[in-house]
This record gives sequence, structure tokens and C-alpha cells, in this order.
Amino acid sequence: MAITEVQGRPLLLGTKKARVRTWEPGPLLLLAPALASIGAVSVYPVLLGLWLSLRDTTLASPTDSFIGFGNYRQLLADGQFWNAWTHTIEFTAASTLLETALGLMMALVLSESFRGRGIVRAAMLVPWAIPTVVTSKMFGWLFDGQNGVVNYLLRGMGLIQHNVDWYGSTSSALWTIVVADVWKTTPFMALLLLAGLQTIPHSLTEASIIDGANPWQQFWHVRLPLLAPTLLIAAMFRALDAFRIFDLVYVLTGGGPADSTEVLSTMTYKNLFSALQFGYGSALSTMMFITEAGIAVIFGAILLRKLREVGQ
Amino acid sequence: MQELEPPERKTQQNCEAACLPGKASVSPASSLGGNHGTPGMPRRDFLKRAGLTLAGVTAASSLLPVRRAWAAGGNPVEITFASAKFYGKQTIAEVVEAYNGAQSKVHVTYKELPPPSSSTEVHQGLVQQLARRNGTPDVFTQDIIWVAEFAAAKWALPLDEYFGREVMKDYFPGIVQGCTWQGKLTALPWFVDSGMLYYRKDLLEGLGAKAPETWDELIDSSKKLMSAGKAKFGFLWQGKQAEVLVCDLVSFIGSNGGSILQPDGTTVTIADEPAIEAVQMMHDFIRKHQITPEDVLSWDEEPSRRPFTSGEAAFLRNWSYVWKVAQTPADSSVVDKVGVSPLPHFPSKQSAACLGGYQYGINASTRNREAAVDFVRWMSSPETQLRFATQLGLCPTRAAVFEQPQIAQEQPFMQPLKSVFIGAIPRPVTPKYPQVTLILQSEVSRALATGNVKAALQSAKEKIQNVVKA
Amino acid sequence: MRDAGIHPQKSKPAINFPAPGRVLLYACAVFIVAWSVGPFLWQTSTSLQLDRELVSGSPKLVPAPFTFEHFVNIFAGKSFHRYLFNSVIVAFSTTFLCLLFGSVAAYALARLDIRGRFGILGFILAVSMFPQIAIVAPLYVLASGLGWLDTYRVLIVVYLALGLPLVIWVLFGYFRSIPPTIDEAARIDGAKPLRIFFQIILPMSLPAVVTTGLLCFIAAWNEFMFALAFTSDINHQTVPVGIANFTDLHYVPWGDIAAASVVVTLPLILLVLAFERHIISGLTGGAVKE
Repeated sequence: MAITEVQGRPLLLGTKKARVRTWEPGPLLLLAPALASIGAVSVYPVLLGLWLSLRDTTLASPTDSFIGFGNYRQLLADGQFWNAWTHTIEFTAASTLLETALGLMMALVLSESFRGRGIVRAAMLVPWAIPTVVTSKMFGWLFDGQNGVVNYLLRGMGLIQHNVDWYGSTSSALWTIVVADVWKTTPFMALLLLAGLQTIPHSLTEASIIDGANPWQQFWHVRLPLLAPTLLIAAMFRALDAFRIFDLVYVLTGGGPADSTEVLSTMTYKNLFSALQFGYGSALSTMMFITEAGIAVIFGAILLRKLREVGQ
Repeated sequence: MQELEPPERKTQQNCEAACLPGKASVSPASSLGGNHGTPGMPRRDFLKRAGLTLAGVTAASSLLPVRRAWAAGGNPVEITFASAKFYGKQTIAEVVEAYNGAQSKVHVTYKELPPPSSSTEVHQGLVQQLARRNGTPDVFTQDIIWVAEFAAAKWALPLDEYFGREVMKDYFPGIVQGCTWQGKLTALPWFVDSGMLYYRKDLLEGLGAKAPETWDELIDSSKKLMSAGKAKFGFLWQGKQAEVLVCDLVSFIGSNGGSILQPDGTTVTIADEPAIEAVQMMHDFIRKHQITPEDVLSWDEEPSRRPFTSGEAAFLRNWSYVWKVAQTPADSSVVDKVGVSPLPHFPSKQSAACLGGYQYGINASTRNREAAVDFVRWMSSPETQLRFATQLGLCPTRAAVFEQPQIAQEQPFMQPLKSVFIGAIPRPVTPKYPQVTLILQSEVSRALATGNVKAALQSAKEKIQNVVKA
Repeated sequence: MRDAGIHPQKSKPAINFPAPGRVLLYACAVFIVAWSVGPFLWQTSTSLQLDRELVSGSPKLVPAPFTFEHFVNIFAGKSFHRYLFNSVIVAFSTTFLCLLFGSVAAYALARLDIRGRFGILGFILAVSMFPQIAIVAPLYVLASGLGWLDTYRVLIVVYLALGLPLVIWVLFGYFRSIPPTIDEAARIDGAKPLRIFFQIILPMSLPAVVTTGLLCFIAAWNEFMFALAFTSDINHQTVPVGIANFTDLHYVPWGDIAAASVVVTLPLILLVLAFERHIISGLTGGAVKE
């Protein structure tokens, strides 16, 4: 069996016609193990969180009363919340965009065949493989304002005159953490996109070359549209994950200086874990959930449109 | 109680006290019989009870002892002990085993929590256990800043009836103050740590100066050393928006006779003149005098320690652990060149150090109160403190233990620190401390980053008032 | 259904780049290696230096004096192999279950008739949207009630749930992109869905499966927060917790941490090298073999 020209537009093929029509217990049973695993771990904590977010309760104090949306009202009026919310959105947007761009570049390079490709592929994955606990500390070292290698190299190249205080300055701290995050998670994007590129039949790319397309046109008009669904799924997962950024911020700056790197996860952590304000902290995490759902809906809408576009 | 008694003797005394009629309705042996069945009990009955206990155990918590000891001459009372993990030549588990081996009335099962570097997780895990009020763990250890919170929530058993004034006068007064909440002793001191000033002996000798007693002297020496090219930095401390910033803050404000919160727990003094002057001085270190790099705003203990031990800085505020690092050739370029003293103070004021360290507490819901008291008494005894000092490098909370010859032999750094610990003061003592510290971290970081000291501290004051009055 | 235009992947570059293109390609490859491995090299170098050398004004890449002390420390002094062993068990079990449950579910969603598939996909995704910080505490209470603290299974179950959304979504995308003509014949012959899946669809999807498996494995390998909360003894703690445990009250033994991270990264690199060829032999390769 081989592939016809139809596969050039692979995604149109999930239409109803093509699928098994007769209902059998199979499909739902096949879903059961996955849904059960997810449900077991997520349903109780999420419902508990929702319930707690409607109460005025801290673990240490005896007070525990239903206050409706009181926590949410307080939250929406809390400047710190909006401060953290803004930082989180900025961080998510910046790191997702950079990772997608860089990851796409890496994937395109690595899908070509050249000598030493296996080594480059393995090398590309190194940042992803280092435990985050270590990455955070390592970037603390690399971007240390006084003895960091980055300042040393930049000075050596004549790009800066004086040491840059990467983490200690309110204007650069968040962006330095973005760099750390991009370094760490670009391999995730690159790997998914690399696998996505494999599904694009060569017949198409070759056809475009025969038509006289240069590599850029070929990429832009042939490969990118076909890669779009994979790209969107990968970027969505990356965005959802970036939105929950915690370790890097907590280890590198603790949210400072002057709350300039405070993000929703660190704020939630401080409220839930340190201050044990379960009600307020749960409202915070629910707001995170709502924002994330918004992000997912945006990606989902684009994804559906792409799927339909490709399908026509 | 200056002399060191052998642990066995103390244990017996304690048990006599513990088994007094009226104080405890059951003796250790019979209370255990109730839980696990005495030898004479019908088998079915025993199984039923064991089953019930077991079900309770599973439902309640996994911290309960698994081990059943069937020692000759009566079964020991089983209690659990949860503590953060510390490192040294011995482990805490070995110390606990020493207790188990030294007597046969109580058997302690040790449950290890994460190391204090994950102190938020330790706190959270502990609170989750205590909030269930099921008596597990019977004994725990707590950071000094949690004492008020645990006491106010009535998770920690008041200990006054077991450890009277006579006993407590052997400990450093600041620690006893930190272990007391609303007049009740609810924690028993384990080990102490505090902020202190490290300085380069060799550099100061070169200037003909001695260890600075006032901040002006420190600024003066720093500037001289920096302009002479002897030191890249004058004075390093920790400004990261984290707990350590509050520790630094407490000692700077305290050294100007100020405070953050009055002992009544509700009067906020963070926006008073002494506090404003102190925070302004922190800002001036960076901007005006330029003896501190701006980088401290993201530095906690280790990033600030490294330039000092590599010989780049003249002065450093840090905890006691730095002394040992500074004297280890593999880690340090300044072996034998470092001195330590109390932190400087404002003119005609007193030096202040921020008190740190972990303390013992007994779960208010414990069913084995007497056994727990016996255990903590042993753990906090002079000889066990000596053992923690020599084997794990944890500084004693009893002044007298510092005089033991073994300390000078095994941990030569400890003795000079005694004077620092005597003056150590606690951070604001309030059950709302976890919230108070977050406000302080945020606002003081803002003050240092922007220079609007007054506004930030005023804002901190208002927020803290809201929290402590709630 | 014949198409002669399909090449097996290995033969030639897909695009015949002109010479400047080749140069650019190699320049990019060099950049990728430098960007990805540079910090790791620095880390490797610090793992072979004494800690005091780290803050010496001018960083050096070649360790002098050279020391193996940190590597000896982590194994002899800190039993690092125990954590490694635990991590291997947890990460492999998680990956296996994730791929098994996830691929079957994705197949059902992508190629079988299921009503409300996007609703189900949305539900699955929701797990990835709730902050993990917020679910640690309730799960701790649950695990403790079940007596599951300090077990491998508690970590495996949690990582499974955290890993499944990605596996299902990514594989869903791939399975949808496989033409229906591929398994048409089998369906007409009345083959059961599972059989079609394991015999036809799965072998064709190896790159996606290997890729998501790798991502799953590394996620489980690196997870810290749950591992810290749920395990407290060295017999079940994983590598990230082990490394965090190196830090005592304040002192961070950086050389030891660097050595440990070198030790944990190397097996993963070997794993990637071993599976590398499966990442690329894609849909086309699989289809051509038929």
C-alpha cells in the first residue's frame, strides 16, 4: 500500500464518511483507562479547589464560612493579582513565541539530512533533559550579575561596557527568566515539530520544487500550512505550561525585585503554601484555570479553523 | 543545670514524673496494651482491636509507627517524631535510635521531612498533619517563625508545667522568647542560628581597623578597602524577595532600636522613624555609598556568600554555616582570613541579630503526652545538644554547652559565635507571620528597588495592620 | 493507490539546497549545538572543578585543578544511584502506561465514531490547565489516606494523569492525518478496531509515539513538586528530590549538583541517540513498507 495524492491533505480524511459507522462498545472502552487515570487525579482536587475558593478559610484559623464570590471580588480588586496576571501573560506570550520560532528553525534544520545529524539531535535535547531544579540554579550562575559567564562573554565581545544586573533589576529580571525558559523548553517544541514534519509527504515538497519554488516559498506555502495543526497543538501545550511557570521564578528571583517577576504560580504558592490561605489561594488558582481555559479556547478555535481549511 | 548528666538517669527521673497519678491516667505499658493487645487478651478480641486500630491508622495517616516493639518487661510506648532533614556525620535517625537504645519505656519512630531548604514544604506538610488533630506526629520540629502560628492554632502543647522557669533559664533568652506565645511556652529549643557579620581579618588589619561596631565604621572601612582595590565589594547581604530579606531587615531595624511589630502582636511599627532610617541605610549601601552591588536584590544566602569566600568582599552578613565553608580549602580562598562578630549598630544603639533555628514541639492532640515530654526533654538535654553540635554542626541553645571541650575540638567555629547568639532577637511574633512576611518581602523589596522608602513602609504598615487585626 | 513519488526518508535531502543553503544549514546546526550544549558544557566543567574556582573573576572552561571529588561525593556520600534507580522505575513505568492508554484513547478519538469528541478532548486538556501547585495538597491528603505515600505507584499514577493530555492530543493529531484509505481494506474485512490499531496504525505512527514517549519520560524524570510532597525516604525519592536534598540548611554544594546533573543527563542523551532513527522514519517510511 502506498499513499495517494490525497494524503497531501491528510487532515481532511477524518471526516465522518471515512470512519466506522456502526456503533460498538469499543470506542468508549478504549477511552476508559485514560479517562479514569485523568479523572482519578484531577476531579477531586479541582472540585475541592472550587469549593474552597467560595469560602473564607485558612488552615490555621478556626474560621471557615461560605462567602460566595467574596474571594473573587477581593482578588479582582487586588493590584498584586493584576500585576502577577500581567507578568504571566507577558511571560507566556514571549516564551511561547520565541520557543515556537526557535523550535521551528531547529526542526527544519534537523529534518534535513546532513552529516552528524544524530549528534545534533541529541545535543538539541540536552536542555530539556536537565532537571528543572538544576536549570534554575544553573541560570542563576550563568546570568549572575557579577561573576556570571554571560556577562563575561558579552564583555569580551564588547557588547556591554559594564556588568548587567540581570536578576536584580526590575527592568531585566522577567526577560532573563524568559531566556532561561526558552533555553529549557525549546527542545519540546522542536521535537514535536520535527515529528510533525515527518507526516508531510515528500511528493508534495518535491512537486513544489519542480514547480520552481525556492526553499522559502516551499516552506511558507507547502510545509507550514500542513504543519499548522501540529504547530498549534504544540504551541498550545507550551503556552498552557508556560502560563504555570513556577520553579525558575521561585529559585531565581522569588518574584522580586519589587514584585517585578511575580507570576500567578508564585503568588498562588505564596498564598496556598506559605500563608495557607486556602480560600483566597484557591480563588487565585481558579482564576488561573479560567485564564488558561481562555488560552486553550483561542488555540482550539484556530486549530478547528485550520483543520477545516485543510479539509476543504 | 550546668553539669551534664548521663541520659539514662534523666530519663528515669522524667518517667517518674510522667507516671504520677492524676497527671496521666494510664501508664505507658497499659496504654500500649489498649492499642495493641496485651499478651493475656483473647485472640479474637485482640484481632478485632488491632483491626480497628489499623483501619484508623490507614484512614488517619501514614505517619503512624509500623514497627511494633515487644520489649521484655512491658511494651514501650510508641510515638512518632517528624523533623526536617539535617546533614552531618550522624543523621537525626541515629540520634533517635540512641534515645530508643538508652531506655525501654518509649520507642520513637522517626519520620523524615524534606531538608529546611524546602522549608515551605516542611511547613505545609507539618500543618496538614497537625490540622487533623489526630495525634500524629506526637513530636515535631518547627522553624522558630512557626511557633506562634502553631501555638495560636492550639496545635502545639503548652509546656510550662513540664519545663518551668528554672529549666528555661539555661537557654538563650531570645530563644525562650521566640518559643513563647502569649505567655505560654509552646516549644522547647533545639538549635540556634542567627545572622552575623563576617569580615576579612587580614584586610582590616591592613587598615589598622578592628571589626566594625557601628554601621559608619563598616561603611568607612568598606570605602577605603574598595578604593584601595583590596576588595571588589564592601558589604554583601541578602535582598532577594524571600524570607532572608526579612531576616536582614530585622537585624538592621533592630540595630537602630526599632522593630516591625510590638510584642502585643497588633501595634505595627514598621513605618516608624528607626525602621525608616534602617531601610534607608540598606538603600544607601547600594546607591549612595555603593559598597553593596545592586545584585543583592536577587541574592539570597549562597549567591552572597560565594563572592565573600572567594575573596572579593570585605564584609558579609550571613548565617553560621558560612564559617565552616570559609575554612574549607576546597570551597574557599580565604581560609584563616575570616573573622566573625555581631552585626554593627547605629550610634549609641545595640547590635541585633535575627534569630533562626529549629525547635521541638509536642502535638497538642498526642495520646502519649508523657512519653513525648520525656523524648523532647532528652533531645533538648545538654548531652544531646552536645551531640548535635559535634556530629551535625548545629549550635546549642544552652549557653553552657558551648563551654564543653568537645565543641572546641570538633567544631572550633562555634565558641566565638556564642556572643552573637546571646543578643539574637526573634522576627515579628504573630500567628499571622506567614502573611506578614510576604507583605514585608514585597514592600521592602520595592523600597530598595525604587528608593521610595517611606511610601513602601507606610504601605507595608497598612497591609500588616489589616492582617494582624483580622 | 500507487505513487512512485515517495522516497524512503534515508536516501537524499528532501530539498536540493544550493551551496549557500548548505552553508546556512550547517551554520544553523552549529548554532543549535552551541546554544543547547554550551551551558551544559560549562556545567560539566564546573563539576570537575573545586567550588572555590567558580567565583574567580574569569570563568574557565578547562578545569584546573581538575577533580573527580564531586562525582565520588554524590555516589559514595549521597547514594545518588538510589535516586537514579527510583527515577528509572518511575519514568519507564509512566512512559509505558502513558503511551499505552494514551495512544489507544487517541486512536478512538481520532478514527472511531465517538460523539462529543471535542468535549472529551477539552476535558482531557483541562488537566493541563489547573495549576499543579493547587492540586498537590489535596492529592497529598488522598495519597496519605490510601497509604500510598512513599510508593512508586503514587508518582506513576500522578505523572500518568499529567502526561496523558499531551500524549492524547499529539497522537490525536497524527492519527487524524493518516488517510482512511490506509486501513480501509482491513475495516471492510471486518477487523476489530484494536487489531487495526496495533497492526496498522501504530506501526505507522512510530515517530509520533517515540516523540511523545520521550517527552513523557523526561517530564516524569524531571518532576519535582509532587515527588517532594509524596516521598520522604531514599527508597522512593527521585533524582530531582535527591538533588534538592544536597542542599542543607543554606549551603548549596554546586560542584556536587553539577556532577549529578551530568550523570542524569547522559543516560537521556544515550536514550535519544538510540531512538533517534525512529523519530525520523515516518509516516512515509511506514507506508512504503506495506
